[in-house]
Parts: sequence; structure tokens; C-alpha cells
Amino acid sequence: MSFFEVTHLSLNLGEFHLKEVAFRLEKGDYLTIIGPTGSGKTLLLESIIGFWKPDAGKIFLDNREITDELPEKRNIGIVYQDYALLPHFTVFENIAYGLKKKTRTGITEKVHEISATLHIDHLLNRKPETMSGGEQQRTALARALIVEPKLLLMDEPLSALDPQTRKNIRSLLRQAISERNMTVIHITHDLDDVWSLANKVAIFQNGDLIQFDSQDEVLNRPRSQFVADFIGASLFKGRVVSNDSELTKIDLGGIQLYSVDEAPVGSHVNISIRPENILISKDISGCISARNVVQTLVKDIIRDGITCCVQLDASGIILDALITNNASDDLNLQPNDTVYAIIKGSNVRIVSAG
Amino acid sequence: MYKINWFKSVFIFLSYVITAMLVLAIGSLFLVPEFKDVLNNLKGEEMRFSLQLSLITGFISTLLVIVFALPIGYALSRFQFIGKGFVKTMIDLPIAFPELVLGLCLLLLFGKTFVGSICRSMGLDFVFTREGVVMAQFFTAMPYAARIIKSTFDYIDPRLEFVSRSLGYSALETFLNVSIRLAGNGILAATVISFARCIGTFGTVLILAGGTYMETEVLPITLYLNISYGNMGMALTSGIVLVIVSFIAIYIFEKTEARL
Repeated sequence: MSFFEVTHLSLNLGEFHLKEVAFRLEKGDYLTIIGPTGSGKTLLLESIIGFWKPDAGKIFLDNREITDELPEKRNIGIVYQDYALLPHFTVFENIAYGLKKKTRTGITEKVHEISATLHIDHLLNRKPETMSGGEQQRTALARALIVEPKLLLMDEPLSALDPQTRKNIRSLLRQAISERNMTVIHITHDLDDVWSLANKVAIFQNGDLIQFDSQDEVLNRPRSQFVADFIGASLFKGRVVSNDSELTKIDLGGIQLYSVDEAPVGSHVNISIRPENILISKDISGCISARNVVQTLVKDIIRDGITCCVQLDASGIILDALITNNASDDLNLQPNDTVYAIIKGSNVRIVSAG
Repeated sequence: MYKINWFKSVFIFLSYVITAMLVLAIGSLFLVPEFKDVLNNLKGEEMRFSLQLSLITGFISTLLVIVFALPIGYALSRFQFIGKGFVKTMIDLPIAFPELVLGLCLLLLFGKTFVGSICRSMGLDFVFTREGVVMAQFFTAMPYAARIIKSTFDYIDPRLEFVSRSLGYSALETFLNVSIRLAGNGILAATVISFARCIGTFGTVLILAGGTYMETEVLPITLYLNISYGNMGMALTSGIVLVIVSFIAIYIFEKTEARL
């Protein structure tokens, strides 16, 4: 049995619902859950912690079924987006609150230790309302971590913070979690959380768990258009036209691409290409190791921060390439320019073959 | 040129008119009697009895009201249960009920039904007794307290309680450590309003406990009995005491409401 397991969990609260959700985590796994608002993510967390009784299904933690256990008996911690700090307590009292229930000794030392780790040791006498969002979130995190829960649940813990604070707290979070080898389920809308914290990813849509895989699998092999759109990958339908010992050739209608993944000749496949894996060049005079070099037309250039998304039209098939603004400027890219899209065979991933 | 905002002006004018009328009405209660007559009346045996009984029954009733209103207000705010809508309507109903009708209903309940028989067999008789004063005050004030406390819990984020539970505290411990602590101002407001309602209850007390001279005579009954006898001095003194109690209650309520 896995360290944490949810089997066929269903719950209907009218507006929000979960349908037959099932997944497993091992000790130390960091799962991020992504999906649109209202897709049942928070409901899943609150079912796991025991605030909602599922209509069907079971929950197991550390070789014990906890489906019907009271929340206070489960040893599961929770951190909310808006911190949920007890306003009538100081920072010290908030952090010590859970610990006081477990032990009567060493409370002060432990509070000081964890608050030093999270850089809030100078705030212990303050009331939550007098602190910034980042400070409050670190307090909430300290309060959850200090009792060493078997499972830590986090509901968008970084989304109310400014980008720099989010980056800092993400780094502290990664350090604190890995030091304790803690198992975590973390709801987020920020893909940076997914790529920098998680080793497993779950995607929810309308109460359904539509993909649960390792971070690498989700990143490179989204199983549906919905997932591909959500994680920013491009998904194409194609047919395998040849398959030699090393490369599979896939016809996408207008263009043909090589992939290192295998699939039977004649089968219809979905292939996924991540935008950051497409290189752009105006000139291909030399020999190139990449197996796919496709002539395209620049359709549009959409700048976003330090990067830009270049939409390339390859005989009617639109490829999105993510490059830096510097690269775009060096290439002097303009709409309607003819450029080459260069993609390694290992970056053309066959998602499904049928 | 400055343009008059008629919409705003009319609304504020109406507020001033009604406030002025209330100030005049209440002020006349203080201006009509002589101050020394009021003092003499306060020292009288009947007034001392009435004031003492009002305070004692008011405190007991208020305590009972809060003891019941806390769990009722919390249940209505937090839990889903069968018949919740009906329970809420019934608890609120006495707010809209004429006090005399509520008193009549309680008189029938404790006088003519098995509930009254059971209570009497346990030594509790609520009909035309001082215990009846407490019961009448309790049912009159209860809906107000339950409403205020429910609204207070509605404003407290239930996730604060979720977090407390997740940190190992039971539902009762969480209720005591988190919910009640955060609802402090609301509970104080409910207590003050309940006390004012208890002290001022007339119709329900009159029907259930009877308006017996120096027996079940609380301040509103003193006012009523003395008006009936034509003793305006005593009636006005009771009125002044009731107004002062109400004023203090509303003042505390306004102060605590601002902090809710």
C-alpha cells in the first residue's frame, strides 16, 4: 500500500463536486494540483482533511483508513491562500497553537527554531493584522510545519503574494519541505510552482481527475487538449508513416516530424511539443543535429515579460515557440518573415497511439 | 452657485424630525416630574422591590438566554440539519409576535398541557410566579440573542475553525478556543440587548406571571399598576429607570457593534 491513497472518492455539494477521484502518493512526494476555478480542487483538500464526508470512496494515510476519522485525529496540516491565522493570537501563539496540544515541553525553543528557518523570528510578538502578506504566509506555514503532519495540504498558498515574495517563499518552502521529507498536496494556478516544487502533478476539470502523472510526463505528454492548453504545450494529431529502429516519422497533414518515441506504422497519434523546445533560425546553411527542421512563416510575436511567444505557420499547422526577447531582437523577427523551426526528435513526444 | 442636493437633504431632514420627536418624548419623562419626587419614589418599598426583582430576574433570564442562544446561533450558522428552516423561523417568531399573545401561549403551555404538569412535578411552576417572570423574559429576549449570535458566527471564517481542528483540537475545544473568542463582541452585544429586553418585557410577564403587587412586580408592571391607580409619580419613576437601562444597553450595543 502507498503512503497516501485516495480510492474512487466522490462527493456532490451541488455547485462543487468530485467524481471517482483516485490517486496514490509515496512518502516525500510533492503533488501539485492544477485546474480551473470550480473544478473541485479545494473540495478534494477539504475532504482529505475531514471537513466533508465523501459520498463514496476511501482515504488511506500511512497504512490506516482515515475516511471516517475526525479531522483532529488525522494528523494532516493545512495552509490556506489567505493564511487563516487566528487574529486574536500573536505570531508566537499562532505557531505554538498546534504544538501546545501535543506537548508541554520545548515549545518556545521549537517556535524559535522554525521561525528562524522561515525568517519571522523578529515578528513573534506581533498580531497577524500588522504584518505583510508574505510574513503572514510564513507564519501560517510555520504553524502547519511545527506539528510535523504526516501530510501537508496547501490551497494556493502563494497566490496572494507579489512575485518577488512568492519567489522567496517558494524557495523557503522547498527547503523546509525537503528537510522534513514531508508529503505535500499543493493546489496552484501558477505553473512555476508546478515546475519548481512538484514531482507529481494532477489536473482537475469539472470534478474529474483527468491526468495524474510525474511532472515530466505531464510536462511533455499532456493527455488531452485541455491539459496541453493548461500547461502551455501544443498538441497535434497525426499518423505514423514510418518507423525505423530509432525514429518514428509522423505526418501531421501539412508537415512531417520525427520523434524518438515509438508507435506502430499507420496508427493515429497525438504528439506534444513544448514551446521552449522549438528553436528558431533564419538560416540553416550548416548541418544540424536536430531531426526536424521545418520552414515556417512568422504569424505573430506576443511579448510577455522577458520572453515572447512566436507563432509559426507551418503549412497551416501553428507551432508556438517560446524564445527570449533578446533572441527575437537579434534575429530581427517580424511578422511574415520566413524562418526555420528546429525541433529535436526527443522533444516531439507521442502522447497516445491508437 | 452651490446646488442643493434635495435627495440627500430630504432623507436627512426626516431623520432629524423623528429623532427630535423621540428626544422630546423621552425628555418629557425626565422634565415632567420633580427630581426630589423621583428620588423619594426610588427609596419607596414598592420601587425597591420592583427594581430588585427586575434586576435579579433580568440577570437570571439573560444568563439562560446566552446559554441557549450560543449553541442555537452556532448551529444555525454552521450546520446543515433536517428542519433547519423551521427551527430558524420558530426561534425568530417571537420577534414578530405581540408580547401578549406570546404570554398567552406560554400560559397555556405551562398551565394546561403535559409540559406544565411535568414542570410542576419537578417543583417548577411558571404560572403567576416569579419563575414565570424569568420564563416570560427568556422567551421574549431569546430570538434577539440567537439572531445576533448567528450573525456574529456568520462573519467568522469557518476556515479558522478548520485550521484549529487540523492542529489537533476537537470541535468543542475549537468552539471554546476560536469561535467564542472571536465572537466576543457579538456575544457581549447579545447579552446587553437581552438584558434590556428582559428588563423591559411587559406583556409576556403580565399574562404568564401576572401583575401581582409586590409579588411578580417588575418595573414595567410597576409602571402599569401605578398608571392604573393614578399614581403618576411612581409610574414616571419606573419609566425613567427603564429608559436609563435601555439607553445604557443601546450605547454598549452600538459601541460593540462598531467593533464587530
